[in-house]
Amino acid sequence: MNAVETALQTALEHLAPLNGQVTTPEDGRRDVTINAGDLLEGARLLLDSGWGYLTAITGLDHGESEGVLEVLVHFCAGAAVLTLRIRLARVGGELASLCALIPAASVFEREISEMFGVTFSGSPDTRRLFLPDEWPEGVYPLLKESPAAAGEA
Amino acid sequence: MTTQPDSAATPKRFTIPIGPQHPALKEPGFFEFTVEGETVIGATLRLGYAHRGIEKAVVSRTWVQNLYLLERVCGICSHIHSLAYCLGVEKLAGVTPPPRAQAIRVLIAELERMHSHLLWLGVAAHDAGFETLFMYSWRDRETILDLFEQISGNRVNHSINTLGGVKFDLTAEQIVSVLKAVELMEERARYYLDLVRNDPMLGQRIRGIGTMSAAEAHRMGVVGPTARASGVGRDLRVEAPYAAYTAIPVVVMLETDGDLQARFIVRIREMFESCRIIRVLLDHLPEGDLQARMPRRIPEGETIARVEAPRGELFYFIKSNGADMPERIKLRTPTLCNLGSVLALCIGRQLADIPMLLIGTDPCFSCNDRAVVIHQAGNREKWTWEQFRRYGNEALR
Repeated sequence: MNAVETALQTALEHLAPLNGQVTTPEDGRRDVTINAGDLLEGARLLLDSGWGYLTAITGLDHGESEGVLEVLVHFCAGAAVLTLRIRLARVGGELASLCALIPAASVFEREISEMFGVTFSGSPDTRRLFLPDEWPEGVYPLLKESPAAAGEA
Repeated sequence: MTTQPDSAATPKRFTIPIGPQHPALKEPGFFEFTVEGETVIGATLRLGYAHRGIEKAVVSRTWVQNLYLLERVCGICSHIHSLAYCLGVEKLAGVTPPPRAQAIRVLIAELERMHSHLLWLGVAAHDAGFETLFMYSWRDRETILDLFEQISGNRVNHSINTLGGVKFDLTAEQIVSVLKAVELMEERARYYLDLVRNDPMLGQRIRGIGTMSAAEAHRMGVVGPTARASGVGRDLRVEAPYAAYTAIPVVVMLETDGDLQARFIVRIREMFESCRIIRVLLDHLPEGDLQARMPRRIPEGETIARVEAPRGELFYFIKSNGADMPERIKLRTPTLCNLGSVLALCIGRQLADIPMLLIGTDPCFSCNDRAVVIHQAGNREKWTWEQFRRYGNEALR
């Protein structure tokens, strides 16, 4: 087993208490689908054991027909990428903020929050990060139904 | 400056807004520091002043069109953005570019790293009040921009990458120019290294300032030269080699002091390493094609591409649904990672150190800011391209 696989196995062992569903999307990666309530615990299990760092948080809208919004929390250790996948409702999704654990998570969370409408409870700063002040409330530009540019309905 | 209402028993707190336009920062960002006396007790940021809607725009453009769009995320490290995108899309399509293309990609990436570090050195020197160093380093940077122009016809958005390979080959003449430039860069880097190590005036501004321990850097997810200056050897060229880095082992430049001076030293030492990599590449430049054939439609799937940009790890998440346009592209630039961490680090420090602390991460705001969406759902007014053009022109008058 190479070093990347060993790292991923270690991460999965740390995350075992969460009973997430593990998939392998490509070499060097594992996705663990967990319950929305388990995110903070998942991050704690990884970081407390010194496994990797929070690299990015991706929002992934599956569209109105599926009614699912996925939040992908990526942790990396060298070439190994471990992603905690959380499926949320497209409207009114809520997650626990990672800021108490990782202060730097704040900027990622603010981005997801303004672009997709996910609320991060317990976040010290819930203001917008990128969108302008006059941006209308309740309009989330990276949801699929949001038009991409002027002229599109 | 605004005063916050506070009880008489606690020292007075002030909130100092900095930006979005501010003489100390050349790019737009808004920072708010809460201070007690000279000590910072709170720090937040607000970005978006250069947000262009790129993550949204990519989903209505073809895979090829996006190459040009994503190259324009950043004007300094344009090549590395297109490289991350190409690597991701090629992985989804199961295409491996020919060895010569991979070597040229790395060559350009290393030239870009040097010019980016020189640009930063100039900005940092300027902010420290060292104008001569600013002028010197930007003059030297021109050498590399000229090379880009010679190779690709463009100084900034070189458009070297294409899906499946590169567009430009290197002629014998260009190789001679590159080698000559590398020699000059090494000579200049030696001078700069001596300067940042030994100049007493500069030393006062950078030695022991903004220190970040290895443990802090590790936990906060700091990336790039900022992390390496704190002894955290994060470098994707080594940890997860891509393109020609798989064949050329990169030596990670580590400093352990974790202060601003270490961030200067790491970046300048990396210039030597870039020069070495370029020489090795040119000595062993593989012959052969420049491009592999790409399918027009990219197979369904999700991939993550991570590359070492001059500022640190650049992260692309790409999802294809099998169509000729991507379903989703998420990009996380190193600056966002590092700014979040540095702000957390500002707490408890002297206000006067903050500008240099921010500069130490080599922040790039246009990389961070990507999305202004023109249309607002509640507001039915839509602008045509012509209206936009007019609005832009009138605003300039």
